[in-house]
Amino acid sequence: MKFDTVIIGGGLSGLTCGIRLMEQGRKCAIVSSGQSAIHFFSGSFDLLSRVNGQEVTNPLESIHSLPSEHPYQRVGQANIARLAEEAPQLLDRAGMVFAGTAKRNHFVLTPMGTMKPTWLTLDDFTSFAKNDKLPLSRATIVNLQGFLDFHTLFIKDGLTRYGVEVQVRNVAMAQFEAIRRNPSEMRSSNIAKVFDQGDALDQFAEKVNKLGKESDVIILPAVFGLFNTTVPAALKARINKPVVLLPAVPPSTPGIRCQIQLRQRFQELGGTHFLGDMVREGKFKGNRLRYVNTNNHGDIQLEADHFILASGSFYSKGIKAGPYGLFEPIFGLDVDGENEREKWFDKQVFNNQPYMHYGVRTDARFRPMINGQPVENLYAAGSVLAGSNPLKEGSGAGICLLTSLHVAEQILQDQDDEERYI
Amino acid sequence: MNTSKDYDVIIIGGGATGAGTARDCAMRGLSVLLVERHDLATGATGRNHGLLHSGARYAVTDHESASECIQENMILRRIASHCVEENDGLFITLPDDDIAFQSLFIDSCQKAGINAQAIDPDYARLIEPSVNPELIGAVKVPDGSVDPFRLALSNVLDAKIHNADLLTHHEVTGIIRKGDRVTGVELYDHQTRAKVSYHGKIVVNAAGIWGQHLAGLAGVTVNMFPAKGSLLIFGHRVNTMILNRCRKPANADILVPGDTICLIGTTSERIPYDEIDNMYVSTEDVDVLIREGMKLAPSLATTRVLRAYAGVRPLVAADDDPNGRNISRGIVLLDHQERDGLSGFITITGGKLMTYRLMAEWATDLVCRKLAVEKQCETADNPLPGSEKNDFSVKSATRKIYSGSRVVQMSAQDRHGTLASNIASSDMMDDAMVCECEGVSIGEVNYAIKELHVANLIDLRRRTRVGMGTCQGELCACRAAGLLGEALEETVQAKDDLANFLQERWKGMYPIAWGETLIESQFTSWIYEGIYGLKPENN
Repeated sequence: MKFDTVIIGGGLSGLTCGIRLMEQGRKCAIVSSGQSAIHFFSGSFDLLSRVNGQEVTNPLESIHSLPSEHPYQRVGQANIARLAEEAPQLLDRAGMVFAGTAKRNHFVLTPMGTMKPTWLTLDDFTSFAKNDKLPLSRATIVNLQGFLDFHTLFIKDGLTRYGVEVQVRNVAMAQFEAIRRNPSEMRSSNIAKVFDQGDALDQFAEKVNKLGKESDVIILPAVFGLFNTTVPAALKARINKPVVLLPAVPPSTPGIRCQIQLRQRFQELGGTHFLGDMVREGKFKGNRLRYVNTNNHGDIQLEADHFILASGSFYSKGIKAGPYGLFEPIFGLDVDGENEREKWFDKQVFNNQPYMHYGVRTDARFRPMINGQPVENLYAAGSVLAGSNPLKEGSGAGICLLTSLHVAEQILQDQDDEERYI
Repeated sequence: MNTSKDYDVIIIGGGATGAGTARDCAMRGLSVLLVERHDLATGATGRNHGLLHSGARYAVTDHESASECIQENMILRRIASHCVEENDGLFITLPDDDIAFQSLFIDSCQKAGINAQAIDPDYARLIEPSVNPELIGAVKVPDGSVDPFRLALSNVLDAKIHNADLLTHHEVTGIIRKGDRVTGVELYDHQTRAKVSYHGKIVVNAAGIWGQHLAGLAGVTVNMFPAKGSLLIFGHRVNTMILNRCRKPANADILVPGDTICLIGTTSERIPYDEIDNMYVSTEDVDVLIREGMKLAPSLATTRVLRAYAGVRPLVAADDDPNGRNISRGIVLLDHQERDGLSGFITITGGKLMTYRLMAEWATDLVCRKLAVEKQCETADNPLPGSEKNDFSVKSATRKIYSGSRVVQMSAQDRHGTLASNIASSDMMDDAMVCECEGVSIGEVNYAIKELHVANLIDLRRRTRVGMGTCQGELCACRAAGLLGEALEETVQAKDDLANFLQERWKGMYPIAWGETLIESQFTSWIYEGIYGLKPENN
């Protein structure tokens, strides 16, 4: 099989690359093992929330204080500013509405009841302009009885510190009795499936309206709209107070929905999506990758002019750590990181962990290397890249979205150049 | 708790020895206070193999310890059946080992009363498929596995049934003396940050390796010999029988299956006394444990390591042994009146988990002599709470009373024995799963919080196995913290508690932070710090 570009990884990066290239008329295939870090989606995409432990007000301005090996520095400040405008437009074309700007972080409420700075927030969720006070004085937190992955007490504690008067209520509904009967089934995606159809949403809203009469806002777990994208809006229409949704323990319902929407956008543009497949190895000729083999395709090779590695960090198995060192499992690419495993960690779990910075080493054009030599037609994007601690910086989604758009541009540029010479 | 009460005996140390002594004293009718600076089983009791020694390991080198072990082994099978797995053990001879040792070994075992039988290596592979197929000899012995957390807890529960008082998270900061007589203890309550004093006729120092420090507080000298041992926990049970090497005891030559996991240990390293609270596991320790463990069961090479931990054996330094006789027996009972002219203070130390009951018996005998109490020890005959024999079997008993879902029910039964009947399961809420790795329900968590002296998440882990499974608390920690916060009505503390719990889990993970463990750590950090916004400084 021959494509213009084969993308390894179906997470936020891979899908962003694929959509961008397909929008420009390139023929792409994505090889995706299935779940990705989008399943951990909090409802917001961060661009840059903290530098050296200090909260960032204007992410675009603060990029210059990042180290030179940071992916943002390597994309370049001007490019980041431009691509940060493009990213929400691309998401919008895929049917997801996000609020926020790269020039100024806004704030969202966390499940600990604290405020956290962020870049783009999905319209399911609520953005706040300031983090020193909340525009509400009385809140009702409503949970579904038996749902253990939404921690009302922590939210209440945090809100109380903002001077908000909080009451916590539980709602029991017959529709959930079936999933409650199995001790491990009362989880967010199963709850979301119940709300996706039938009258559960109407009944729930009715109960919530009774409970929240005295409150300014209703706080609920984000378990609305898994396959049915209309549910979050329907929920808000039926509840007669403003609704603030907060993330629950993963898998994230809005995250799964976003991944489905991105995938559908890619497929509607004509992209080929190999779900549940994994790239096993590649065949090189000189410094060029000619084709890859996957688990499901046996000896059918996936050939392409360009390849993108968007295979993620350790948790997506984009890079792996063994007892004797770090490696990139598909091509054996050069990895940026310490060799000795005692240097991978800090003994305090909440400190800056060195391993979080590790990833594949790339040249100025984001091409990974083998023994110091870049692979001419392979690019890396997203969490597989070395050079940042996305957790500490609050930069994970930003790196995924913006390096992907950047790499897509590199490939488009490459092909334009090639066409000019023909 | 009544601070003006004059206890017959105050026991320092919530390990197996202290818990066992509290039980024994209480059963003989004494008024008892047990104090522990952290939680039950946080010292050497909770930091070993969990091996129910048959005594075979000591048979060749230490006949007396070996006979003590097999006797206590048989007693524990009776009185602590819900803490014990009767797995049996193999002592295998590998091509590198001297096969001639085997006959000496069997001979020594039999002299100590241990039923050791040579079996054909091929047969050993049939009954224990994980064993190194290159073995050239195998001896079957009555080893088993014991859950030391459950064992210590059951002793405490029984002590309480016999009216003993318990204070966990109370650290001894001073031993109160009146001239040459010890009359009580000064305690610091870590939860309320208050100082309190309690008085008693006799104070028993059962603080294990920390006994040296406690003796110092009383003004007498006990020199301990801190020997650190590191162990690794693997993510599932590779073996069904305990695997040992048939040779003189050495590093990493015991592989013990227990509950959902198996563990290899130990290393042995002399450490300075001031490092006994700093139980890190080094990269070298990890490498040695895996390398040696693979020789027992080759599949360990590719089995996920779940955690690394270390403990300190409370060995007593030979140079301070008053008569040189006790050291060979392992158990050291010091009457400080005889030894140092300090009355009202005794130290029970040395020994091993296997002999905790015997140590408790010796210590209690001495306490009783001093208080002129004549009642005989009954701890070897009466089963511990959770292991009582009924007219019907434990399983059918709990099933009758406790009708929760099967996974939850079986897990709870395994952990709590007959006490599982105390776990509420009146509705679906009680049955909802908090920890999926270990099958812990809300009912079990609430039972532990109410009945089993739980002050924080880490205590809860020891009582229920919450967060001990393959995810190491990734998803269940928050659920459990929420329940604990509700029960204790302390949300702020619950957030700190959650942060502490994650740190405590990380301590056992970073020495083996590669492969799945590193992946789980990254996941956990993203959930708690990334999505939840949990930071230690926030709380």
